[in-house]
This record gives sequence, C-alpha cells and structure tokens, in this order.
Amino acid sequence: MKILVVEDDATTSEYIAEGLRQEGHTVDLTAEGREGLIHATSGEYDVMIIDRMLPGLDGMSLVKALRAAHNRTPVLFLTSLGGVDDRIEGLNAGGDDYLVKPFAFGELSARIHALGRRPHLKEETTVLSAGDLKMDLLARRVSRAGQEIDLLPREFALLEHLLRRKGRVQTRTMLLEAVWDISFDPQTNVVETHISRLRAKIDKPFEHELIKTVRGSGYRIET
Amino acid sequence: MARRWSVLLLSTPLRLALALVMLFALVSTLAFGASYMVVRNNLEGTMRADLAQEMAGFRAAPSAGALAALIEAEAQVTDPSRRILTYLAPDGQVFGNVALSRGQDGYLQINLPPGSKGSGGSYLGLAGDFFGGQLIVAQSREQMSSLGDMFRNVLILTLLPTFALALGGGILLALRSKARVESITSTLERLTTGDLAARVPKMRGRADDLSLIGDRIDRMAARQQAATEALRQVSADIAHDLKTPIQRVSVMLNQLEERESLSPEDAELAARARAEADRIVATFQSLLQIAQIEGGSPKARFAPVDLSDLARTFVEIFEPSAEDRGQHISLTDDSDGQARVLGEKGLLGQVLANLIENALRHTPEGSQIALRLHRPPGAVVLEVADTGPGIPEEERENVLRRLYRLERSRTTPGSGLGLALVAVIAELHEARLELDDAAPGLLVRLTFKA
Repeated sequence: MKILVVEDDATTSEYIAEGLRQEGHTVDLTAEGREGLIHATSGEYDVMIIDRMLPGLDGMSLVKALRAAHNRTPVLFLTSLGGVDDRIEGLNAGGDDYLVKPFAFGELSARIHALGRRPHLKEETTVLSAGDLKMDLLARRVSRAGQEIDLLPREFALLEHLLRRKGRVQTRTMLLEAVWDISFDPQTNVVETHISRLRAKIDKPFEHELIKTVRGSGYRIET
Repeated sequence: MARRWSVLLLSTPLRLALALVMLFALVSTLAFGASYMVVRNNLEGTMRADLAQEMAGFRAAPSAGALAALIEAEAQVTDPSRRILTYLAPDGQVFGNVALSRGQDGYLQINLPPGSKGSGGSYLGLAGDFFGGQLIVAQSREQMSSLGDMFRNVLILTLLPTFALALGGGILLALRSKARVESITSTLERLTTGDLAARVPKMRGRADDLSLIGDRIDRMAARQQAATEALRQVSADIAHDLKTPIQRVSVMLNQLEERESLSPEDAELAARARAEADRIVATFQSLLQIAQIEGGSPKARFAPVDLSDLARTFVEIFEPSAEDRGQHISLTDDSDGQARVLGEKGLLGQVLANLIENALRHTPEGSQIALRLHRPPGAVVLEVADTGPGIPEEERENVLRRLYRLERSRTTPGSGLGLALVAVIAELHEARLELDDAAPGLLVRLTFKA
C-alpha cells in the first residue's frame, strides 16, 4: 500500500515509516499540516496516518478540509489525547480510526491493514470457513471436522469477527471495540481469557491450531 | 402551588412588607384607642354635668307631691330609650317612665335588659334624695357606643387600604425579586454543573443589591471559565509534551525487544521495562481523563443509556477472567429492563469496568462479586458488592481521592485512580456514590436519578 504519514515528532514518524516499509509498504513522510494537506489531495494514497496536533494546520482541520474536497482516503488519527470526547470528535471530523499514543507498532499495523482493505467481506455471506472449521451464520452453528461445537453468543461473535478478517491481525483493542463496543482498555487481560476459552473449544480437541497469537500485536486466523 | 406560595412567603420583601403593616396597624390601633379614651372621658364628663344640672332643676319643686306630678308630666314626653326619669316617693309609689328600685345616691350605672320598658341598654344615671324619696335621672350611653363604632369604622377604613397597599406592594416586590433570585440560582446551578458559560441575565438600569450580586457571580464565573480553559490547555500541552517522549521510550523498548542478539534475560528486562511504561501511560491516561471530565463536561453528548444492557455486557466480559482467578461474578437485574439513565455510554462502561476490576483485584480466591440493578421510586441504583475484606469505615472517604491507596493494597497492581475516576464520572452524571459495608466486603452503590 502507499501510505502518507503526517507526524511532527521525528522519532515517532521514523519508527512508523521504518516498520511500514519493512512490511513492504511505500511511505511518504511529512511533519507539517499544510504540507500534509497538499500531499493528501494528490489522491494517490491508500491510507493516511495523521497526528491530531501538528504545526501549521492541525490534523482535525486537515481531515475536514480533505473530506470537504470529497477525498475519501481512509484516515487513522494519532493522538496524545484519549478522552471519550476526543475520540468522538476525531471520528466526527472524518477520521476512520483513532489511535492513542503511545501505541505499539503491531497495533498501528493491524489497524492500517483493516483500513486499507475496506470494505469488508460482502455482508450477505452466510457461511464462513477456515480449514475444516465451518460457521453457519443463519443457523448460528459452528462445526469442525464434522464435529458440532457449542459456543456462547459472545464467543460466536468473537469467532465470526476473526473469520471475517481471516489472515489479518486483530489486536486486543480492535476486538474490544468490535465485539464488545468498548473504546477504553480494561486493566484486566479480558481479551486473552476470552480467546483462550474460544481456543479450548475450537482448537484444543483438534490437531491444527486455527487461532494464532501474533507476538506483540494480537490474534489472527490463518487462511 | 402550595410550595410556590410558601417560597413566596419566605421571600425577604414580602416579609418586610408584612412586618411593616403589622407595625403600622399596631401604632394606629394604639393611637385610635388613646383618642377614643380621651373623647369618651370628655363625653362622660359632659353627661355627668348635664345630669347634675337637670337634677338641680328639680330641686325647685316645693314638695314630694309636686315633684311626682312634675316627673310624671315630663316622663310622658320623654323617650325612655334616651332618657330615664324615675321618682321613688317616700310612700313607696313609683313615678316616671321606667320603674327602678332604690339604691345608693350618686352616679350609677344602669343596665336595662332588652325588651323591658324602653329599648334596653346602658345608661349613666344620677340618684339624689328628694323629700325622703329618691329621684333618678339617667341618660342613654347610646351616643357613647356609637362613638366607639365610629372610631372602629374610621380605624378600619384607614387600615384596610394601607394593609392592601403594603401587602400588594410586598407581593409584587417579592414576585419580582423572586424572579431575579431564581435567575441567579439557576445560573449558579448551571455553573456548578459544568456550564461555565452561564451568566446572570442583566437587569436594565438597575444597580441594587441583587444586580450587584449578579455582577459578582458573573465575574467569578468568567474567572473560573478562564482558569478552566487554561487548565484544559495545560492538560493538552502536558499530554502532548509528555506522551511524545513516552511514545519514543515505548518505540525504543520495542526495537530493543526485537533485537535477535538480545539474551533471554535482557529480553525479559526489556519486556518488563515496556510493561512499566504501559503502566505509566495507564495512570497518566486516567489522570488526564479525570482532569478533562472535571474541566469541561461532555454533557452535551448525553443520551439515554440502558444500564441493564451495559451491566450484562461487562459481567460477560469479566466472567472468564474472574473464573480463572477462582472468583465468581453475578448480575441480579431487578429493574424490569427499565434501568435507563441519561449519560455517556463510554464513561458509564468505564465505571462498571473500574468497579468490577477493583473487586477482582482486592478480593481473594473464592470471592463473590455481585452486581445488582434495581429501581426504587425516582431512581436507578447500581450496586457492586464483594465478599472481600472491604474498606474500613474511616478510610472510605479517602479511597475516592486521587492516587490514594490503602496500606495493604500497596502490593497489588493498580493505579489508585479507579475509584477516583468512578467518583468523577458519578458526579458528572449527578449520581450519588456511596461506599458501604457488604458484611463482609465492600458495597459500592451508585444512585442515578431516573
């Protein structure tokens, strides 16, 4: 993907750029708001990462201007603020996702991939599968290797979310947002315990492990 | 309505007006009473002089028989309701227009029962000895009592308009000042609930005490607003200036962790350093959030939130974690699905998460954590009770303070901000937060207005 990073802190932007380049993306860097807007309007980017506080033109105004000009490129806001208000403001201004500093690169990378591949799978899909695992969305049934598996409603939702994004890393915070609609990070390792419950049902009794842990990032179901 | 009137009655102008009216009425009544007494005494004196003079007139009669004839003749033409003439002759015969019995000589008070000869009533009489008999002349006091009536009427006529005027004026003033006091109190109410832009409406051309108070409040509010704005700016600056270096530290630790040349011990050290950095961020984030909520409220974004739904979600989220620690979470919903409160869903979720995490963290294995929702009249109550060691009564106030931790909790993880954040969010939602004894354990109760 071609990614534009507008971030005034050199250490952070270098780190982001290096990580993204290692993953095979093309990255353009700029540290100033107005310059960022000029780059952004060229329309050649797949995703943009924009800091909310920038010299020149701040990130919010930048994205508002961009959206006013009918540019729909997905935007991920980076911010030092993390209040409920700030998040909603950022999304209202036209941002597609919101990441509070400090963040791990894995989190950023997972979110960039999620943004870059929008729109998701067609919604009318009624059967999801991975390897020998099948999920029937209409009958609300899951089976693996022909064996029926009993899942609680929330386990079903979690598995469905991972299956719909097969091959893509989903971080803890992404899962909290998508499956439980929580935009803050509980101090308890709730996601880990839910994943381990799910694994106990769909992976443990079988030879091949479907849900993989991506170190330092999150979870992924292999294609 | 009754409340409105009682509020009005308590207002200063009306009470002042009423007190003045009372004072005026008292003084007027005393003055009228005094002049009535003077006039009355005067009248009584005149009456006595008249009676004495009349009595002296009859002294001219030469004999008892002549006097009797004279009295009899005069009594024929005298109305007994105005004047009484009676001669009790020495032989026991009674002449005159009213039959009286003999008494002491001198002035006397005569009361005739109504319906007797004459029309009845009160008389002032004078009795004197004439030829061994007694002559009584008396005059009706009707004049005197009509004088009393007159005085009373005059008093009422003077007082009534004064009373009406003062009362009306008082009520009018009270209503006006009530409206202004209300605008001041509603402004104060808005200021205390976080709307720092609220100002007291200006009264045109007035510089009385109320508008002075209004001005002072406005000035205070403007100052507070400026200070809060400055605080918000400082928070944002601190957030930016501190988080950027923290971000860099995280980045560097990340890069360090990923070095393949790192020995397992060093990698472990780097991971621990990163975990510490994460804790700094979490504490920092909570402090920042408390400051933001206190500084300017996101009340504008309030919408109905179903606490039943929210509580169910959070119990579900934490259930597996609790089970792994050998603890048990349950939810009792006695609200019939009517547990709607006006609020910010994200913040209320954070309250639930903080309370549950707090209970998980501070209770031993085998503990029960019970959430309960119920609806007493006019309220929605959320309770989180645990069977842990609880908090000593004298410490309960303190734990709501920022960064305060019980001595025994120093060794458990946590920022010491969980309950402080709950307190701030509760205040924002005008909910009452109480810490109680669950006997054993801690009971946290949040009472929302329904």
